[in-house]
Amino acid sequence: MVQEFKLNRLETTRLMGPMVDKHWKELRTAKERGEKVAWCSGVPFIFAYAMDMKCHFMAGYSAYCAGRKAGEHVLEIADSTGELPDTCSYHRMHMGMAEAVKRGIPVREDVVLPIPDLMIAGRVCPEMSHYAEALYRKFGIQVAGIELMTPYQESDYEFLEPYLERQFKEILIPTLEEICGKPFDYDHMREILRVLKKTATIRNDCLEYFKKVPSPWTLWDYGVSLAPVIYLMGKPETIPYYEKLRAELEERSKKNIPAILPEEKHRVFWDGWLPWGFLGHFSRKLTSYGANPISGRYPWEMFPRPDLIDPEGDPVHTFVKALYTGTMLGNNMAKPGLSLIDRIIPEYQIDGLIFFTAKSCRIWKSQLTILEKMERKYGIPGLCLEADMADPKMFSDAQIDTRLNAFFEVLEARKEKRRWV
Amino acid sequence: MEKVMSRFMELSTDPYAGVAKWKEDTGKKIIGCFPMRIPEEIVHASGMLPVVMWRGNEAVTLGHSYVHNFNCGLTRSFIDDVMKDKLDFMDGMIFYRSCLQAEEIPSTIELNAPPRHFLYLYLPPLYPGAVFRDFLIQQLKKMKENLEAWAGKEITEDALNNSIEVYNKNRSLLKRLYELRKRKPGTIRAREMLAIVHASMLMDKEEHSKLLGSLLPELEDREEVADGKVRVILSGGLCQTPHTAILDLIEEAGMVVVDDDIYIGSRYFANEVTPGNDPLESLADRYMKKTPPDPTMGDWKTLWSDYMVDKVRENNAKGMVSLLVKFCPPHLCYYPDIKRTFDKEGIPEVMIEVEHEVVSVEQMRTRLQAFVEVIRGGA
Ligand code: SF4
Ligand code: SF4
Repeated sequence: MVQEFKLNRLETTRLMGPMVDKHWKELRTAKERGEKVAWCSGVPFIFAYAMDMKCHFMAGYSAYCAGRKAGEHVLEIADSTGELPDTCSYHRMHMGMAEAVKRGIPVREDVVLPIPDLMIAGRVCPEMSHYAEALYRKFGIQVAGIELMTPYQESDYEFLEPYLERQFKEILIPTLEEICGKPFDYDHMREILRVLKKTATIRNDCLEYFKKVPSPWTLWDYGVSLAPVIYLMGKPETIPYYEKLRAELEERSKKNIPAILPEEKHRVFWDGWLPWGFLGHFSRKLTSYGANPISGRYPWEMFPRPDLIDPEGDPVHTFVKALYTGTMLGNNMAKPGLSLIDRIIPEYQIDGLIFFTAKSCRIWKSQLTILEKMERKYGIPGLCLEADMADPKMFSDAQIDTRLNAFFEVLEARKEKRRWV
Repeated sequence: MEKVMSRFMELSTDPYAGVAKWKEDTGKKIIGCFPMRIPEEIVHASGMLPVVMWRGNEAVTLGHSYVHNFNCGLTRSFIDDVMKDKLDFMDGMIFYRSCLQAEEIPSTIELNAPPRHFLYLYLPPLYPGAVFRDFLIQQLKKMKENLEAWAGKEITEDALNNSIEVYNKNRSLLKRLYELRKRKPGTIRAREMLAIVHASMLMDKEEHSKLLGSLLPELEDREEVADGKVRVILSGGLCQTPHTAILDLIEEAGMVVVDDDIYIGSRYFANEVTPGNDPLESLADRYMKKTPPDPTMGDWKTLWSDYMVDKVRENNAKGMVSLLVKFCPPHLCYYPDIKRTFDKEGIPEVMIEVEHEVVSVEQMRTRLQAFVEVIRGGA
C-alpha cells in the first residue's frame, strides 16, 4: 500500500499572513496619508524606512503578489502591453503594474502598487535597471542608482564593501534627504538594525531545529516566515513572532513531533528561489513522497550573521558588513554557494538535492556544476527542476511530476550510499 | 582585395584556426575577453593578444551538462567549446558581469576547466556619481596588475599610450568603412561588414588596420548597387555574431543595410579614447560614455530607443531590423520600449530572433519579405 503523508503545519506561521497584509496595505494607502513612497529592488529599502517612507521591495512584492494568486493576473496585463514572455517574471509583473496604473487598467485591489516618489534601483541584474528606466520614462520618477555587486568570491568583500558603502553615503542618502526635505535619520536606521539583529538571532535559533531528525518544521514554514528578516525588518512585532515560533519548535522537538506526518521520510535541500506562486502546489508534491525540504540557499541569505550587525556604531557601515561579510549577497554565486551547500549537506543530513531553476531568472549560478560536484562527493542524488517562481506558463506540471517520481526512486535506492553518515 | 576580404571572412567563420596560428607564429599568449566592455588596450599593452570571446561554430552538446539550454547562444557555446577543449590555445580569460547569464560562465569554467590565467572583473554601471568611475579605475588597475603577472613584465605608461593609439587608429578606419557604406550603400555586403569588424576582434589590431587600410580604397571603387532597395539599419545582436545567413536574407528580401547598432558592428568601435594624463583614466572615460546606450550598463536616462530612432532618421533609413538574441534578457527587457517608441514615431521595425543552433530560414524570409512590403506599401 502506498504510504500517505501530510504536512503538520505550525500554529505560529498562521500569524504571518496578517502581518504581511498590513505591510502592503500601509504601502497602498501611504499616499492618502501624505506619506512618501519608494519602490526598491534589493535591500536598500532600509534607508527609505529610516526616513519614514513607505517602501516596496521588488522580490518581496513579487512573492506577495504571486503568493496571493494575483501573479498571473498582473503577468497577463504585462503580456497585453507587449512585455516579452522570456523575461524575468518579477520584472514583467512590475512592468505590467506600471503600465496598468498609467493606462488605468484595473488591477486587483489587494496587489495594486502606488506610483512612487522615488525609485531605488538596487541593481543586481539588467532587469532591475531597466525597470528603473521604465519608471523614469513612464512617470518621470527620480531614480537613485545603486549597484549591488554580487561577490564572485569571498576574498572580494574587501573592496566591494567600501564600494557599496560609498554608494549609500554619496548617492542614496543625499537623494533621500532631498526627497524628504530632512537630514538622514541615522538613529532610526540604528533602531531598525537593533530589531533586525534581535529577530535574526532568534531566527538562527529556529534554524538549528532543522538539524533535528525528524525536523519539526519545513522550508515551506520558514518560507512564509521570511518577511520579518527582510522587508518587515525593524517592525517590533517581528521579535515576538520569532519567539513564538522558537517556542513552538522547542515544544515539538521535545515531543519528537515531525513536520511531516506520520514520518519524515526524506530530507532534501532546496536550491534557488522558492516558487512563490506555487508554494502550496510544490509543498503538496514533495509531501506526497514524505520529503521535507529543510535547507536552501535562498532562505539562508536573510541576514544569516546578525552577530556582525553593530547598531550602535555607524549604521551604514555595519549594514554593508552584514551584506557582504555576513554572506547576504553572494549565496547565489557559485563559489560562495558551493561552500555553503558543502557545509549544509552533512550538517543537516541531506538525502537529496532539488535544484529549482527559474527559467526567467538566471541568478543562481552554475547550478549544474554544483549539483554534479555535491552528488559525487556525498553520493546523494540531485535533480534540476526547471520551472519559474511566478509564471505558470514557463513549465509543465506533468513533466515535473515525472521527474520528481524518478528522483525519489533513485533517492530511495541510494540511501545506503550516502557519504555524510 | 578578394584576398584580404576572404582572410577576414575565414577568421570570422573559423576563429579557432586563425587565432591558434597567430599564437604559433608569434609565440605570444592569447587572452580571451568577454564581449562588450573590457578595455582590450590593457591586454594589448602587455604584449599578449586580446581576442573577444565568440559564439562557437557547432551545436552545443557537452556544454549542456554545465549550462541550461535556456541560456543565450554565446554563454552556452562558449562553455561547450571550453569543455570540448576547443579553446586550449587561450592562455587567459577575463570575465565580468554584463548580465546574469554572463555571470554564470566564469564560475562554471573555473570550477570545471580553469584556464591557465583567470580574472573576474567587476565593471560598474553608468550611474551618476564619482564612486562608479573611481571603482572602475580601481578595477582597471587590478586588471593591469594581473596582466603584468601573466605576461611576466611591467605594462608601462608608454605601452598603454601606444596601445590606445593603435586601437584608436583601428576605430577610425572602421569608422571610415562605415561612412563609405553610408555614402555608397550596397557596396559592402552585410556579411562582409560583419566579417571585417569581427576580424578586428580576433587578430592583432595593427595587422587588421594594415589590411583594412589596403582594402578601403578598393572598396571605394566598387559600384553602388542599392537602387530600389529599402534602406534599413540593424540593431541589437548583443555580445555575439548573428548568422550570416540572416544577413543575406535581409538583403535578399530587398533591403540594404546602411548602418547598424549591433555589437559586432558599430558598437564595437564607437568612441575613441581621448588621451590624457593617465591612460587608465582615459580608458575609464571611454567606458563611461553613454552612447551608444548599452542595455547592460544600467544608465536609465539615455534611452536606447530614442537613440535608435535618431540613427534611423540620420541615415534616412526606412526601417529597422532588430536582431534579438534568443534568451538575452537585456535586449528582451528593452525591446517592448523600442517597439512602442518605433510605433509611436511611425517607423517600421521588425524583430528577428537569433538562436545559436536552429535558424528557421523560411519563416524568417517570409517575415522579412512582409516587412519590406509594408515599407514599400507605405512609401
Ligand atoms: S532576473 Fe532575477 S534577480 Fe533580476 S529582477 Fe528578476 S528575479 Fe530579480
Ligand atoms: S547580454 Fe545577452 S548575449 Fe550577452 S551574455 Fe547576456 S544574454 Fe548573452
